[in-house]
Amino acid sequence: MEKVAGTAFLIASSAKVVATFTLVLLSVAYITLLERRLAAFMQDRRGPNRVGPFGLLQPIADGLKNLLKEETSPAAASRFYFFLGPMLSLMPATVIFAVVPFAAPLPTPWGVVDMIVADLPVGILFVLALSSLAVYGIVLGGWASNNKYAFLGALRSSAQMVSYEVALGLSLVAVLMLAGNVTLTEMVWRQQQLDWWFAFPLALAFLLFVISAFAENNRLPFDLPEAESELITGYHTEYSAMKFSMFFIAEYAHLLTNSALMATLFLGGWDIPFWRGDDMFWVGGALVSGFDATGAPLLAEPAWWKTALTLAAFAAKTSFFVFLYIWVRWTLPRFRYDQVMHLGWKVMIPTALAYIMLIGGTILVLDALRTPYGFTYGLVLTAVSLVATGLFVFVLDRDRIIGGADLTRRRSGTEYQRAEMIVASDL
Amino acid sequence: MSETETKATDTVRCTIDGREVVVPRGTTILHAAEKVGVKVPHYCYHPGIPSRPAMCRMCLVEVEKMPKLQPACVTPVQDGQVVRTEGANARRMRQAVLEFYLLNHPLDCPVCDQSGECKLQDYVFAEGRKHGRGTEPKRVFGRDDFGGDVLFYGDRCVMCTRCVRFMNEIAEDPRLCVVERGDRSIIDTFFEEGLAGSPWAGNIVDICPVGALVSKDFLHKQRAWDLDHTPSICPNCSQGCNIQLHVRDNAVQRLRPRPNLDVNGYWMCDYGRQRYEWMNSGERIEAAMVRESGRAKAVGWPEALARAAEALRGAAAAGVVALASPFHSNEDLAATAALVGALGGGSLLYRSELAANEVRCPGYPGLARRRELAPNGRGAELLGFRRVGDEHASGDLEELTTHGGVLIVLGDPLLDADASFGTGAQAFLYANPHTSAAARHAHFVLPVTTFAEAEGTFTNFAGRLQRFWPGLAAPGMARPAWQALWAIAAALTGQIAPTTAAEAFRRIGRQVAELEGLTYEQIGPTGAPLPASVSGSVR
Amino acid sequence: MTRPEPGRASYVRAALKGMALTFRHLVNPHKVTYQYPEERYPLSPRWRGTHRMEVHADGRPKCVACGLCPTVCPANCIRLVGGEDDNGNRYPIVYEIDEFRCIFCGMCQEVCPVEAIHVGQHYENAEYSRDRFVYDLDRLMAQDHPVTHLWDPSDPRTE
Repeated sequence: MEKVAGTAFLIASSAKVVATFTLVLLSVAYITLLERRLAAFMQDRRGPNRVGPFGLLQPIADGLKNLLKEETSPAAASRFYFFLGPMLSLMPATVIFAVVPFAAPLPTPWGVVDMIVADLPVGILFVLALSSLAVYGIVLGGWASNNKYAFLGALRSSAQMVSYEVALGLSLVAVLMLAGNVTLTEMVWRQQQLDWWFAFPLALAFLLFVISAFAENNRLPFDLPEAESELITGYHTEYSAMKFSMFFIAEYAHLLTNSALMATLFLGGWDIPFWRGDDMFWVGGALVSGFDATGAPLLAEPAWWKTALTLAAFAAKTSFFVFLYIWVRWTLPRFRYDQVMHLGWKVMIPTALAYIMLIGGTILVLDALRTPYGFTYGLVLTAVSLVATGLFVFVLDRDRIIGGADLTRRRSGTEYQRAEMIVASDL
Repeated sequence: MSETETKATDTVRCTIDGREVVVPRGTTILHAAEKVGVKVPHYCYHPGIPSRPAMCRMCLVEVEKMPKLQPACVTPVQDGQVVRTEGANARRMRQAVLEFYLLNHPLDCPVCDQSGECKLQDYVFAEGRKHGRGTEPKRVFGRDDFGGDVLFYGDRCVMCTRCVRFMNEIAEDPRLCVVERGDRSIIDTFFEEGLAGSPWAGNIVDICPVGALVSKDFLHKQRAWDLDHTPSICPNCSQGCNIQLHVRDNAVQRLRPRPNLDVNGYWMCDYGRQRYEWMNSGERIEAAMVRESGRAKAVGWPEALARAAEALRGAAAAGVVALASPFHSNEDLAATAALVGALGGGSLLYRSELAANEVRCPGYPGLARRRELAPNGRGAELLGFRRVGDEHASGDLEELTTHGGVLIVLGDPLLDADASFGTGAQAFLYANPHTSAAARHAHFVLPVTTFAEAEGTFTNFAGRLQRFWPGLAAPGMARPAWQALWAIAAALTGQIAPTTAAEAFRRIGRQVAELEGLTYEQIGPTGAPLPASVSGSVR
Repeated sequence: MTRPEPGRASYVRAALKGMALTFRHLVNPHKVTYQYPEERYPLSPRWRGTHRMEVHADGRPKCVACGLCPTVCPANCIRLVGGEDDNGNRYPIVYEIDEFRCIFCGMCQEVCPVEAIHVGQHYENAEYSRDRFVYDLDRLMAQDHPVTHLWDPSDPRTE
């Protein structure tokens, strides 16, 4: 079976672009509904359930409302950038999805079609580059509003982005070391080959990546740029109607893209666990499913049902992260700004650096021992990573990762306790 | 008669509720108790009515060594007597009497106009039983129109007969009597016309301790507890009865007499009582106006006063005439006189209405509805104003109409003035509380207050100075006339204008030598007679 | 407040504990929301909502314009002008309650000697304009929601 080429490639690519873009935006709309319903359930409420059956038409009603609402524009705003902000914010979030493989290749009469919009060789670098761009939209919007709250939100956003981009990148280094390349389709293949999803052999990197992704997405507990209690709604204080809606869509598109990315990087992408039938990768122009003992490639057998099944697997994994996002948001309170900075610079980055050393060393040792890239290889790494994660979570996390405002006083011990006692006796 | 002057034999010493008191012999327990601040409840006794039937039985008090309770209103105190008004027996008696009163009382306080100033309500609230024990149906009379302004609700009556005795003894016009007996007894009128035509009948509404007699004019108008009471002087004749303005929502709701034994006792006439609506009139001048090229233009006080002073100064050479209304206080009139003086002098005139005859109160000598139907004609005379016009306060305007110099009119409505009034004057200053067609040619129109909105004094027919206080808020920019006129006079002479009514009153001493040194404090709330040298004819 | 000893607090474990809690609520079918138009919150018998004027069988208001409610009203939101009708009965010519100014203390009901004015068990008061919240006599008489049972301190059942 050959890859599609020529006119068929053009048609297939166009179809994928349209389908993916539509699906992403539709998903975004329903993630907002999901978020509201789940938030409600967690708070023993029912959530929006009036518009359509189970409230399913709610996103459409909201969208219609936002379209029809008055577009306000502050008198002192910088018009051009004020309009540019939401657009710049929305664009990267939707484009990133182009490099995420979402199913096994689909065989068609005109050739095999890869289930990815653009299989860029620089995949993950493209993702990093574009996701950093998203902050420009926020900074521009916040600055152009000419509103101190919006501006503070924008400042916080950029500071947060700078801090966590580093940790995000560093935690990715471990993945890149194990995957050996930066193409997302190949990462999926490498996970299939290892028989381990990277979430296990690179457990700590996974943890750090998830945390960083939360921070980069401005989700709770990292939603300082729009902290309602301090900044009204931060950078989009002055936005209304469709411009606000674009920020909103961008945030949720980002959420969806990040979820898909994490599923791809750490949960094997569209891979169906414990089944080799779905393993497929282009090696030298041929779609192989693996190699036999001698290293000769085994040809893969793509099928439409395999594509469908893997798409479902991918959707399930992405949904898991979407759910995690929502779950965390409605559980954890917002960090204080200094806590965010402390966590980013003093905890995440050193830990990620140390972890790179650890994983790098382990890989070196494994390679030196000529351990084949496979289950045992992954098992050793998993053991090492779990120990490291355990140390991080249960040993380091003693008032050190996140501490209260009285942290320093409590460290000094007796004096604080004495003060506490005095207050208690006064009562 | 103070204690130090009286001989020992003329006084008695007694103890009332543990407090010792020395009073002239013959004083009743009720009065003696009042002296030490003990108020004995009563219905039938009224200080203004001579007869004391002691029939309400509310004032029964314990007197030591007397087996039965004694009515405090008629029992004179004896030397060494010990009286207890709060003893167990007296209390029980009052409670029983009150229960007895409530046997047939409809308890319709929610719809009763007396509610809030009702003695039955007060006493029952203070000492009555919580619940009545009566089971029989209450007797029902319904209500009766007594004529005049008086409405009678027989069910509420406690049969104190104050109204009957007032008509007999004070009005000396016995039109009321008690008919029937026992619980069927009721107040009634003899003749068809009832109380209609009686000039004093309004007082029986005041003295009725309950809501049996109510005023038709005040019927359901306001609740008694909502009214603000302002001491004032009745402006409707030169008798100068002391009154209270009962005010709510910045409107006078009714007039009530204020006891002053030197002038009106406890009474006032229906003529005065009924004429208060003009104080609430909405047809007021509310802004100072200056005539500019034929049109009146509203301006602020400082501009109006400055320009008036300028215009008056320029026109004074051609003569000054001032026409004032005796409805204005001595302060206002004196300020008018001062202004005329500042302009080099001129004629001071006033006009007031004269009734055909005096309406005397037979039972209270000295009280009458006087002929002059303005409160301060005497004060105007005293300040050098000369009466002109006929007894309807009209006429004699020819001199003013053709006058070519300064024309000042204060408060006179000029109802009889012809359309050309004031056209000849070089400067026509019109200061009046109410709008008037005669102001059409005025160069300056100043909004001033009525007596009800300002502090001041009236001089009554007998030359008694009496103070009144503001009960209403002045509308718009209206200020007391003395303030405005003195300001103009001060601008002309370089003097300093008085800033308070008290100061304005002291300034009168400069114009009228006899008043020199008199102050508001000396006049007090019940007034003071003028020095004998200035008292003159009684009109 | 009890705090963990210094160096003992763990953010990760606390966060996991919190997430377990929210998850339990997520799957718990018990919800507290009232499905409002179909399902209504049961009002306390002492709920004090907008007013209602009781009427006689012949349609006259029971109010006798005694003036106690405007007197007792701490918010000064009742305007009352009394008068006399053709049968010689005292009645309110004007009776207006500014429901915006009202603080719903219920003292008007408590003080009313003829049990005419009542606060009611009612809370659906939306209007399209503010002036509609000055309820006049006709409006008050037309209200048909249940009236409030005021708390009688001497009767423990009303507690």
